[in-house]
Amino acid sequence: MSALRASGRWIRADLRARRGQALLTVLAVAGIVTALITSATLLEDNTNPWRGLFTQTDGAHVWISAQGPLDPAPLAALSGVTGVAGPYRSAPVTLTENGRRTPVALRGLPAAPPEVAHPVVLEGRWLDLADLDGVVVERSFAQAAGLRLGSPFQVTALNGTRHMLAVAGIAETAEQGFYPEWTPGLAWVLPETLDRIEPAIGRSQSVIGLRLADAEATRLVVQGAVTLLDERIQRIYTWREVRASMELDNRLLGLLLALFGAVGLAAAALAIVNAVGARVLTQSRDFATLKSLGLTRRQITGMLLVEHGSLGLLGVAAGLLCGQLVTGLALNGGAGPPLSFVPAAAITTGTALVVLVAVWLPAWRGGRTPPIPATPAAPPRGHLSRLARLAFVVRLPPALVLGARDAFTRRVPAMLTTFGVAIPMMMITIGLGCWATLDNFLAHPEQVGQAAALQVGPGRLPSSEAERLINADPDVAAVYPGTEVDALEPEQTRTVLARAVGTSARPYPFVVVEGRPYADRGEAVAGQGLLDLLDLKIGDRVRVTVGGTPLILRIVGRVVEPDQDGEVISFGLDSLAAKDAMPPEFYSLVLRPGVDPEAARARLLAASNQDLEVRRVVNPAERLAVIRVVIVALSVVLALIGLANLLTASAVGLRDHALDLAVLKAMGLTPRQVTATLVTGTGVLVVIGVVAGTLAGASMAGGLIDLQGYTSGVGAGIGRTPSALTLAVVMLLAVGAALLVALIPARRAARARVPVTAR
Amino acid sequence: MSAVIRTVNLVKIYQSGGVPVTAVDGVDLHVGAGEFVAVMGPSGSGKSTLVHMLGGLDARTSGEIWLDGKRVDTLSESAWALLRRDKVGFVFQFFNLVANMTVADNVELPALLSGATPKQARERREYLLDALGLTERAEAPPAQLAGGEQQRVALARALANEPSLLLADEPTGNLDSRNTRDVLRLLGEVHKKGQTIIMVTHDARVASLADRVVSLLDGQIVDDGVIPVTRRRPKAGAGDVVELRS
Repeated sequence: MSALRASGRWIRADLRARRGQALLTVLAVAGIVTALITSATLLEDNTNPWRGLFTQTDGAHVWISAQGPLDPAPLAALSGVTGVAGPYRSAPVTLTENGRRTPVALRGLPAAPPEVAHPVVLEGRWLDLADLDGVVVERSFAQAAGLRLGSPFQVTALNGTRHMLAVAGIAETAEQGFYPEWTPGLAWVLPETLDRIEPAIGRSQSVIGLRLADAEATRLVVQGAVTLLDERIQRIYTWREVRASMELDNRLLGLLLALFGAVGLAAAALAIVNAVGARVLTQSRDFATLKSLGLTRRQITGMLLVEHGSLGLLGVAAGLLCGQLVTGLALNGGAGPPLSFVPAAAITTGTALVVLVAVWLPAWRGGRTPPIPATPAAPPRGHLSRLARLAFVVRLPPALVLGARDAFTRRVPAMLTTFGVAIPMMMITIGLGCWATLDNFLAHPEQVGQAAALQVGPGRLPSSEAERLINADPDVAAVYPGTEVDALEPEQTRTVLARAVGTSARPYPFVVVEGRPYADRGEAVAGQGLLDLLDLKIGDRVRVTVGGTPLILRIVGRVVEPDQDGEVISFGLDSLAAKDAMPPEFYSLVLRPGVDPEAARARLLAASNQDLEVRRVVNPAERLAVIRVVIVALSVVLALIGLANLLTASAVGLRDHALDLAVLKAMGLTPRQVTATLVTGTGVLVVIGVVAGTLAGASMAGGLIDLQGYTSGVGAGIGRTPSALTLAVVMLLAVGAALLVALIPARRAARARVPVTAR
Repeated sequence: MSAVIRTVNLVKIYQSGGVPVTAVDGVDLHVGAGEFVAVMGPSGSGKSTLVHMLGGLDARTSGEIWLDGKRVDTLSESAWALLRRDKVGFVFQFFNLVANMTVADNVELPALLSGATPKQARERREYLLDALGLTERAEAPPAQLAGGEQQRVALARALANEPSLLLADEPTGNLDSRNTRDVLRLLGEVHKKGQTIIMVTHDARVASLADRVVSLLDGQIVDDGVIPVTRRRPKAGAGDVVELRS
């Protein structure tokens, strides 16, 4: 008790004396914990909006699209099915808006929202019999298309008739993923309206949703439905695909944050060991005094543990709060539920333990300070090395030589400082690698499998006319006709995207990472996601069903596939049965280098008198733009950690050489040279750390990003290392900033009158 | 006279670069309650080491130390620390005030350590600082104080718990003559109130304040003499012979 009071006084006084450093510790730990909490929240399933939406809408687990009218009774009778949504009629239409044409699935739902899978209205109102022209648009689609309440909604049916509707409501649903990852966009109208727009039953589909008692029984129910409906099935997907499509970006971000958080924690631990160690070193005389007053070894260790540990724990607490705040803000204005207890507790205790261990080591050393106050903790002395003598002989500036020698007088702190700078630098370089990869996505979409910048649908023109218009355009370098179809995978329980584009003789310029491009009928290439999904290797044969026709394909290569989590199989148009292949659904246009896709698009639209449907291919980097914000934020935290290490190093350097300064001055060094000596002492360590960290980061970045690409289905082969110029600039910046930081205390020390007394 | 501190054949041998160096070589010292002993000797004679051992800051190599009738040389570092809270006060050459703490906190620290309530500690501190004429510097950081003031604060801190033994290691070694006089006057006053003091010094004038001077040379006691009271305070009479003091 008595020692507690005394220690309390000491801690308060010490904290007051070094507010800046204390704040830095708290900030660094808080930043790391924030990153970890955010990453865990993102990685944990329940930030996936799917879960909330599914619960809110009483969603259906399985969705089946089929040709012609459907009788729900046999499906509802399947064992495990507890509820049925629909069947609803769904007609493909084109939304025309500011000259842009977007395919939309127009679905007929009753005015009374159904029990199962009822969309949740966010704005406006649900469909109303009093307003037959009202349409309710799915939220993500409305956002992408810039639709608001009351916006005109002009649709063109397959027969070419135009209808003017208006947006009456915006709603959310769990029946399909978000636009534009999941196409086409979804809009609901009353069945009466749908009958008016698309009177032909044959040109529409029936969509039915099945709600199951047990989500895990999905596969069985799907197999039952497939047996019942057989060839009429056009598309089947389950809650798993919807969930996966909604979580893609969160996962990637979560992994990135987790990586940065974990390594950042190690860096922070190092910084804490370093900082506390240096503090203990500079205060060894105070500890000796305290011991002479009657504090025991254990009490001093405890006191240090409490002082520095509580700063770390404060950081952990602040990080917890920040993490909740950040995830709340990031996930669409606080929609996501908070992180569940177990991972939050694991992160809290984990980081707290790391902090305490990091503090305990130097605290223990502090406790072992001998109680004789007269003994200063002097750095180990030694002779000038041969190298240093040589440096003097060749007349290198003496400040440089002395400083470089000072850098290593204390081996362990020197190592800690070097690593403490190197690790943040490595992570920053990896972050820059992610940045460069995104830039590369944007600058060279052809390297991520998006050679074609534009996709042109014939629209209302016959395909020959469309081809003529496209070929007449001077900026088009190559045209690949193509069709995207849903292919039922071998067990017929789910669909994958099958993309027939180009021909065997003239394949689409995919980026083939392994194997070779398809070159014959029946050959195909696939993304990593598909290979994983169906457990295939290159060289395997796979049987899929397209439009009721079985198709046997041999996988000859793996391509970088940014769409659909890589669950895409691609082959030549000639591999597809003629009925599915002709006429081509779209033309993929590779433009000449340097041509602005937007300009080309405008010209094509003008040339076709707005009859062609021309859309820009969405670059995955545009979806991942938020990663850049994350990289910047994390770089700031890491820079803080590096800064903490630097301040520590310069404090120890100053302390160790306070006496020498007087001697150096007496020997005839100018204040400027003294400053240079001190700055060189920390500068050498910083330069080593920065160079080592950057090299390590640069050598790891490509591999790590490829690993991420592999796990996310896109496939390895996308990772880029930041350019040599960027690296050089970053290194210069880091070293320059470090020297500036070291310069201020060094100048002050060099100008101060140094008393020649014991420390 | 009961002994406050007693040593029996006390030896301290340092290892300096693998070579054993004998700093204190068989010292038998007996200091009674209320005595003021000056330990003198040239640099390296082992006087600081002796005082450090008496206060438990340094471990002895062999021999015995008895403090207030209890054997203490066998105590662990922690047990020594606990003992020091109540029984030993230290004053050092370089003051050794905790730089981050205010003067007031520095003086209150020992009282708090020995279990006083914050109120008791404050009252004791106010009394001591007042006695030493430092009341208005209470909230200042030590670095703002002059050397003499710092040493007075250190003295206040050492006396905070009314220790059985006050150990002073060159308390005036870093002070100018005026401050030296001040600090010595204070030590004298404390001594008059019955405080046992052992003071290390190499300055004969400083030593002359003590009751008894112990001279060390190469770790051994070479002289141990009581300064007669009459010599210290000669009654000046008309026919007295003028005595020369060294």
